[in-house]
Amino acid sequence: MTSEEIVAKCQSSLGGDLVQAEVNLGDAVIYVSPEALPKAAEWLKNDPDLRFDYLSQITGVDYLEQDREPRFEAVYELHSIDHGHSIRIRVGLDEENPTVPTVTTLWKGADFPERELFDMFGFQVTGHPNLKRLLMPEDWEGHPLLKDYPLTIEEISFSHNPDHKSELIKTKSNQE
Amino acid sequence: MSVTEQGLLERDKDTMTLNMGPQHPSTHGVFRMILEMDGEIVRSSEPDIGFLHTGIEKTAEVKRYVHCIPMTDRLDYLSPPQNNLAFCLTVEKLLGLDEMPARADYLRVIMCELGRIGSHLVWLGTHALDIGAMTVFLYAWRERELVLDLNEMISGVRMMTSYIRIGGVAQDATPQWIQGVREFVDIFPAKIDEYESLLTNNPIWMDRTRGIGTLAREDAINWSMSGPILRASGVKLDWRKQRPYSRYDDFTFDIPTQEHGDIYDRYLVRIEEMRQSREIIKQAINQLPDGPYKIQDNKVSLPERDTLHTSMEALIHHFKLVSDGVKVPPGETYVPTEGPRGEVGFYIVSDGSNTPYRMKLRAPSFMAIPGMCHLMTDSFIADVVAIIGSVDIVMGEVDR
Amino acid sequence: MGLIDQAVESIETEVNNLKLNAKDAFDQLGAEFSGAIYDSILTTKLGKIVGWAQKNALWPATFGLACCAIEMMAMANSRWDAARFGAEVFRASPRQADLMIVSGRVSQKMAPVLKRIYNQMADPKWVIAMGACSSCGGIFNNYAIVQGVDRVVPVDVYVPGCPPGPEALIYGIIKLQEKILNEAGTDKARQRVA
Repeated sequence: MTSEEIVAKCQSSLGGDLVQAEVNLGDAVIYVSPEALPKAAEWLKNDPDLRFDYLSQITGVDYLEQDREPRFEAVYELHSIDHGHSIRIRVGLDEENPTVPTVTTLWKGADFPERELFDMFGFQVTGHPNLKRLLMPEDWEGHPLLKDYPLTIEEISFSHNPDHKSELIKTKSNQE
Repeated sequence: MSVTEQGLLERDKDTMTLNMGPQHPSTHGVFRMILEMDGEIVRSSEPDIGFLHTGIEKTAEVKRYVHCIPMTDRLDYLSPPQNNLAFCLTVEKLLGLDEMPARADYLRVIMCELGRIGSHLVWLGTHALDIGAMTVFLYAWRERELVLDLNEMISGVRMMTSYIRIGGVAQDATPQWIQGVREFVDIFPAKIDEYESLLTNNPIWMDRTRGIGTLAREDAINWSMSGPILRASGVKLDWRKQRPYSRYDDFTFDIPTQEHGDIYDRYLVRIEEMRQSREIIKQAINQLPDGPYKIQDNKVSLPERDTLHTSMEALIHHFKLVSDGVKVPPGETYVPTEGPRGEVGFYIVSDGSNTPYRMKLRAPSFMAIPGMCHLMTDSFIADVVAIIGSVDIVMGEVDR
Repeated sequence: MGLIDQAVESIETEVNNLKLNAKDAFDQLGAEFSGAIYDSILTTKLGKIVGWAQKNALWPATFGLACCAIEMMAMANSRWDAARFGAEVFRASPRQADLMIVSGRVSQKMAPVLKRIYNQMADPKWVIAMGACSSCGGIFNNYAIVQGVDRVVPVDVYVPGCPPGPEALIYGIIKLQEKILNEAGTDKARQRVA
């Protein structure tokens, strides 16, 4: 099925659960709300024409700098082994208490990526069997991939430009 | 709960907690597993990753696109050209560039396949070393030196070539390099035969790898395995054929698959993949077209150096590209490519500036780890090492 | 009152200085007394022999972290043979190794592990910081990477490169061997074992 056909089928079958659906640079992309995600994911996996049985990845994005609602997004990339097509699901999450239900019951490969969502962004994944920190140490505070988390927590040690260094310190202390 | 609390609870259970720590010769990198052992049998294994977390994804948000390319080299550090290619394909898709010049595509293919051969040689050497065949280690790395020599000839760097750039490749191929690739292609099949003569029909190898770590087809799909693991379990999925990129459909090559999905099958698949990669390189170097090695659009790729002396536009484009970098229109996309470990792709969100807004690597080893630990349940501790070797994880891309 | 306080303070500091100097002198004397036999010409030569033996049999611990580990393995292989410099046996157990080649980037989670492995190594031990990431943080100046492994363990030789070729690492090992031989029989070598 081409991306347009997939989008049309999703629009006709999912109806109200779908916030938006489009073909973006040749890829089929649908937008759903977090509450509608389990139902939509199950339908996508089991529908005989679509059969999205392979979960490629789960990503999180923080749209803080772009000033849009909702601030966060969880992006799911699915492939179908039999039919050879793909789809991207974008789930918008609110700024306070970003929560998304788990899809580990459908695709066991979602285990690690959802833990990474929690570790790097702070999204709560409801229903996940083992939601702990994955990449950062267990007692790390903060979620590194958020846009308001600083990239580096110490000043640059070596700089041949003394003015640049003092300016950098000034801008960093202004940011905090 | 913490591992200590877990240990205190375990005095009531019959199992022993064994820590296969981050520093271990057989974990192929800094990978920690907490194994619960019932005698020699592993009842469960919990992976603990993050010991190589480098924050590449966050660092990429402040680097210009061309500066991200050396960082992508260091993700899957055994086949750097593959990461470069996946990154460049995604950025080019966002830029709306559909086709690269033919010579650029062929050079990209040759570098990626050389990277695939280099990565499989490391896999073969270390996997065999873990199981006990030390000779294969020395032989495989001897051939890898030839691959690294070719890398050095064309880009100046042995491993982290950063050769594949947005819009093509960094510099043209020299006649010496072409001759070197031809020589490599000529001698390599005999070397693969040498490794096979040591391992494939070796009863010790077969005893240690047959029937162990078996992954059924449905499980392999559900656990999001990809690449040789998926193909050894019977799924004929290879992104070079499924969604051809970089003119891969110009070449004829097979996709090896096996049925059982055990360690021996994964070994056979990768050995055959080395042969097929050599086939692709042979076809590409024999048909290497003439022409430009990067697109002529100076908003994306640097102009030729000699034009800087005469053309004002070239000078301005060069200045803008070097100081500012490529400006990518806003959007988000993902392009899957076939790396030596599986599906490698970058999900890039761009906001119209010269730095990526979000760059995320879809790492095949990262997705393979839970499935790998699932494979270890109810296996002997000696098989744990064999299973890790057969899944071929590299921690640079797991931890990013 | 202020003047008297100042006077008291200055007398106290003088007394303290005398005490410290006396302690120093006693320590020196003790050291000299116990090392009196050691410091004869015979045992300086003996120290040099010990240093020669140590440098020609440096056993590296397998501490490959990232990309540099691949070049370290290439160094141990047939083209750039590290065995001809004595560094053939890569021991997995830190107790049996005396050289730790920190090859690769050290993340925040790995730093305590690195320190623990270093502590487990028996004296005398040496550390080579291989590559840019372990020397100074490399191309990763961010929250996740320790900016130089010398913040965690004392380093003897830094080998720059990203990754340094096997020939560069062999040069680093040769430099370390020269350092061992230069230090042999002197106080520095004694401090390593003490």
